[in-house]
Amino acid sequence: MRSADKLRLRLRTLFLRPRVEAELAAELSFHLDQMTDENIAAGMSAREARQAALRSFGGLTQIQERCREMRGTRIVDELTQDLRYAVRTLRMSPAFTIIAALSLALGIGANTAIFSLIHALLLRPLPGVHAPEQLVALGDPARTGSLSQGNVRTDLFSYPLYEQMRDHSQSFSGLAASGRSNRLVVGTEGANPPGGTETARGRIVSGNYFSVLGVPAFRGRTFTAAEDRVPGADPVVVISHSYWTRRFAQDSGVVGRPITLNGSPFTVIGIAPPEFTGDVVGFPTDIWIPLMMQLQVTTGRPYLDRWDTSWLLLLGRLKPGVSLPRAKAEMDTLVARAVTTFAGSKISREIMPDPQAMRVQATPGAAGFSSLRRQFAQPLLILMIIVGLVLVVACANVANLLLERAMGRQKEIAVRLSVGAGRPRLIRQLLTESLLLSGLGGVLGIVFALWAGPALLRLAGGSSSVALDLRPDLPVLAFTAALALFTGIAFGLAPARRATRVELASTLKENARSVVGSGKGAGRWPVAKLLVVGQFALSLLLLTCAGLFVRTLQNLERLELGVDRDHILMLRVDPVAAGYTGDRLMAFPAHFLERMQAIPGASAVTYSENGIFSGTESASDVILEGVNSGKTRENGVNLAYDRVGPDYFRSLRVPILLGRDIGPLDRVGAPRVAVVNEALAKRYFPGVSPLGRHLTALGPPDVVYEIVGVTHDVRDHELRGAVPPRFYTALAQSSEFASAFNVEIRTPEPGALVKTAREAVQAYDPSLAVNDIHPLNTLIDDSISHERLIAQLSAVFGLIALVLASIGLYGVVSYTISRRVNEIGIRMALGAQRNDVLSMVLRETMLLALAGVAVGLLLAIAATGLVNSLLFGLSGHDPVTLAAATAILVVVALLAGAIPGARATRVNPTQALRYG
Amino acid sequence: MGKPNDLVQGTLDLLILKTISLEPMHGWAIAKRIEQTSDDVLRVQQGSLYPALHRLEQQAWITAAWGETETGRKAKVYSLTPDGRAQLEKELASWDRLSHAINLVARMA
Repeated sequence: MRSADKLRLRLRTLFLRPRVEAELAAELSFHLDQMTDENIAAGMSAREARQAALRSFGGLTQIQERCREMRGTRIVDELTQDLRYAVRTLRMSPAFTIIAALSLALGIGANTAIFSLIHALLLRPLPGVHAPEQLVALGDPARTGSLSQGNVRTDLFSYPLYEQMRDHSQSFSGLAASGRSNRLVVGTEGANPPGGTETARGRIVSGNYFSVLGVPAFRGRTFTAAEDRVPGADPVVVISHSYWTRRFAQDSGVVGRPITLNGSPFTVIGIAPPEFTGDVVGFPTDIWIPLMMQLQVTTGRPYLDRWDTSWLLLLGRLKPGVSLPRAKAEMDTLVARAVTTFAGSKISREIMPDPQAMRVQATPGAAGFSSLRRQFAQPLLILMIIVGLVLVVACANVANLLLERAMGRQKEIAVRLSVGAGRPRLIRQLLTESLLLSGLGGVLGIVFALWAGPALLRLAGGSSSVALDLRPDLPVLAFTAALALFTGIAFGLAPARRATRVELASTLKENARSVVGSGKGAGRWPVAKLLVVGQFALSLLLLTCAGLFVRTLQNLERLELGVDRDHILMLRVDPVAAGYTGDRLMAFPAHFLERMQAIPGASAVTYSENGIFSGTESASDVILEGVNSGKTRENGVNLAYDRVGPDYFRSLRVPILLGRDIGPLDRVGAPRVAVVNEALAKRYFPGVSPLGRHLTALGPPDVVYEIVGVTHDVRDHELRGAVPPRFYTALAQSSEFASAFNVEIRTPEPGALVKTAREAVQAYDPSLAVNDIHPLNTLIDDSISHERLIAQLSAVFGLIALVLASIGLYGVVSYTISRRVNEIGIRMALGAQRNDVLSMVLRETMLLALAGVAVGLLLAIAATGLVNSLLFGLSGHDPVTLAAATAILVVVALLAGAIPGARATRVNPTQALRYG
Repeated sequence: MGKPNDLVQGTLDLLILKTISLEPMHGWAIAKRIEQTSDDVLRVQQGSLYPALHRLEQQAWITAAWGETETGRKAKVYSLTPDGRAQLEKELASWDRLSHAINLVARMA
């Protein structure tokens, strides 16, 4: 009631102003009349009485003003006034307004774009999920597409382990699992896939997945616990709203329709709501498949009963009152108990972990899982700092422009002060102007960010199509608004305070300027000069960073890989998924190789299990003869390895340093051979030849190889760091088929061969899907996409800062000269030559620039330590980069000084002295 | 003459609330009543009275209505709201506490 009353009064005061004002006037005049009457009663004449009343009443206007103030609407009134006034002044100087608003838009827009990326990738709760803050992610959230075989793990979970955790957990009201699916080949009309190669992104999920996440069906139904019971029994899928739109044009008859996934029949039972894109951020799911149907989409690879195959990430919903640490502790206990229970029966001795050492990684699950975070978190944070600094430089520029304007408005301000405007009020009014500017910059910035966000995403994503929703939502808009407000105050406050500190008498005099510049105006220079010095310092820092990142990228791009990287086409097929088994599967590599070698334009073809820069790698514990052979199996060294095809190294143009390549005769039946890389040879056989030594890969079963060759080191998966010791065996000698199958084709122009190679695979067997086909360089480029992102963006932002700083310097120098025209005139009249004038201007310009550079160098040396971990092949204190950045700034400063300097030399002494 | 500044901040509120708690009256009458009741010790100046009235109205402690005086003139008449009565009780209590405290100190033996 009371607050409603208050509100009514406020609104009345605001919107019925004439009436309220009239009432106030009537009320006061009534009082005045009463006083007059009293005075008359006391014996005064009517006129005297009136005057006495007025005298004792005090200032009528002041009382009215104070009454208005009490009503609390004065601020609103004044704000409206200020705003109108600000709009008017800004419109009067469009050039200033445009330049200031654009530089702010650039700064704010860049910040908004980077922040919206950070928000979408790192912070935003999964859209479409009920109460995401209650979710806990179990496992390593980055391993969204991983599969780990050979031991029991807790960074990813095997299905049997998940089952134990789900059924015995007390902390969660529900525990859902999701795991990777291979690319799905989707057929929509019976068993006949039309188009053949249409692929979709699948995710294999538990029956309770949708209910734990609290995602209802948009059409049809989602999975239930019933789908979690019998392997292979429920061939049903839920499709995403976006896939429904893309593939089925929102056909409402889709629910109940049969489709095939990798050749197996399924039925669509439901459509997910539009906002729900799954649990993996950046890669929206098209099709959800029940866990029990894993074998049907990953033909030939049963995971469901294997404790040593970890491929699931878990999302649990905490029961009310249960904390994350408590849930984690319960999971640790549960895992240890489960492993102990099944030790010996389901979990063999070889893969049995130490139950007490198993720790479950539990993190807040609101933002879901993402493999992109680890790679991009640090670069994005550094970019956030960089764009923050660019905004500071932009603010300094606008502050300088405002200062300059304030000088031009001194007379106006002096007039306003002299007729009684309060200084705080004037400051507020000038601040309104700068806030209006920054608001304008903010709005333009959002527009800029709308365009820049997707562009950034493409830059970051490389050839993998990362999809993030970058439409600005409430947090992003709040961020931008806060930024605009903050910048408005940051660049507006100092100039406003400065501008209102005028000496009325001298400013109001018509010709206040003294002969040698303006004594009064000089007070502004320290601020403006400091701003320019600061801009140069930050620009140097930004340019140095840009230089470091660009050189890092160059170093990575020029890095010697050890293979002929420019001429290799990589393609991956999965014969197991295509239904190959037994002898047919074992014969596949040789047959397929033969067909691929017949592709016109392919100069050499080979294959390998893990490929190059494919993201999959194998490792095994190994005993090396004469190195650790006397020791027990626990002392085996863990080494990376690959299983490769014949003439692998020759085909990739990797030099064999000792011995021989893996050859076509290394088949089943022949003695098993291995080739080791130089790093392995140097580390374990220093000074001796490893040829003829034996290498035992610890099983089960143990396999013994004879080392027959040493090859030059190859960077197989990682550009940074030392090449790890690695060995290569012949896939043709293995009793087990590869977990992946990559083909390397050497050809002069890899990009041009993509279509031909794809057709050749289709011709070989139409059911064999080409999962990935890329020139090797594309894969390598993708592996350094975050380095590319940060290099290109920091270069762009460094240049923007440079341009802003040079505009700032140019403005300050021009302004100084315009204030000193008569001083220059006197100097020239006294015999100074043009060169003297020019060198005087340049000297002063360079003094500012060099002061900035000096501060900047100190900053750079102090700050670049932060980015050391992102650099490659150079240190944060790289002298070449520092020197180059300094040189660029000096040249730019010379230019920024030379233009107004040249103008100064054209000063006509007579005119300057007469009219100055 | 007692200047308005002599009134402790907030005391004017107390005086106004108390005065119109007896009967609704307009600004002039409030000032007069305070003067008379205090034997001319307390004089309320217009420069303080009207802003205070508007502030109290804004707080919804008093409410204003246009009425007629005995002489038939229109005047803005203020009366106490229930909230204002509660506020008056509070201010009275705190005044008592304050004056008691000051007395204790002032009359310290």
